[in-house]
Amino acid sequence: MEIPIPGNMNLQNNMNNKVCFTTKDIALAGMMIAVIEVCKVALSFLPNIELTTFWLIMFTLYFGRKVVAVVPAFILVEGVVYGMNTWWIMYLYIWPLLVLLTWIFRKEDSALFWGIVSGIFGLCFGMLCSITYFFIGLSSGGVVAGFNTAFSWWISGIMWDMVHCAGNFVFMVILYTPIKNVMKMIASRTNC
Amino acid sequence: MEKKSTKKIIIGLVILAVLIGGFLLCYNKFAAKGTVGEKAIVIEVVDSNGISSEYDVNTDAEYLKDAMDELAASDSSFSFSGQEGDYGLMVEVINGEQAIYAEDNAYWALYVNGEYGQYGVTEQPVGDGDTYTWKYESAE
Repeated sequence: MEIPIPGNMNLQNNMNNKVCFTTKDIALAGMMIAVIEVCKVALSFLPNIELTTFWLIMFTLYFGRKVVAVVPAFILVEGVVYGMNTWWIMYLYIWPLLVLLTWIFRKEDSALFWGIVSGIFGLCFGMLCSITYFFIGLSSGGVVAGFNTAFSWWISGIMWDMVHCAGNFVFMVILYTPIKNVMKMIASRTNC
Repeated sequence: MEKKSTKKIIIGLVILAVLIGGFLLCYNKFAAKGTVGEKAIVIEVVDSNGISSEYDVNTDAEYLKDAMDELAASDSSFSFSGQEGDYGLMVEVINGEQAIYAEDNAYWALYVNGEYGQYGVTEQPVGDGDTYTWKYESAE
């Protein structure tokens, strides 16, 4: 069974040339989101320590364009579960940005390289989030208020961004190789 | 190929080190810091009816939350509570009046000398002569 969906998916329906996404792909996307969510809940007691960055990088590397369906679905699930607040707006551009960066460097195959990318991403997370606060400040008091709101929000969270950076780096360096082997096995078994 | 990859890792490490150094410098230079010593401040509460209550506080506290704790301990007409988060206490109830955004569509806004506060109560430094206003604000 093939379900036509808009967008540039990797499978083509030979009968009508519509871009398609198979049932197996949908199940796989569901599994990816479930893995991210379970890890998120499991680590929720540790502030700014997360595996979402790790998984999104790995999924992008080993399941390619299928992750295009995973990111919006993951963001939607997050919004439904935790409520669509300010942080949810941040998610709309932060996670797609990570996937885009990963896609650009997809030929790299080094735990250290991806550890550095994850670390930089964690370090810049607060700065990226503060873009939303710029617009919140902008709407209430102009450009200066926007900048002040974003800047002070970013500054006050820098130490947590350092924790985020360290957590992302360590997780990637430790887990990259074992998970890569599992990913390769799954990808070959499912013809992904 | 191997050489190219090593080069990218070295460039990445340099970028990471520069960013960490730069961010730490910014934090040390711009992060809110409390000042040691006795300070006379005013804590004002404007409730949902616009009724203002002012409290004069003499304190050695460096941050507003500590000053408010001292006030709550010494003056029974003032109380506050909230929820702890990653960035400190999120004030939800002041003098018995609750303002939780998700439930009440309102929040307690903090103003410092009339300007909208840039920090949470835990991180807001206390300065001599400052006025800290908690205002019940409904979301538009």
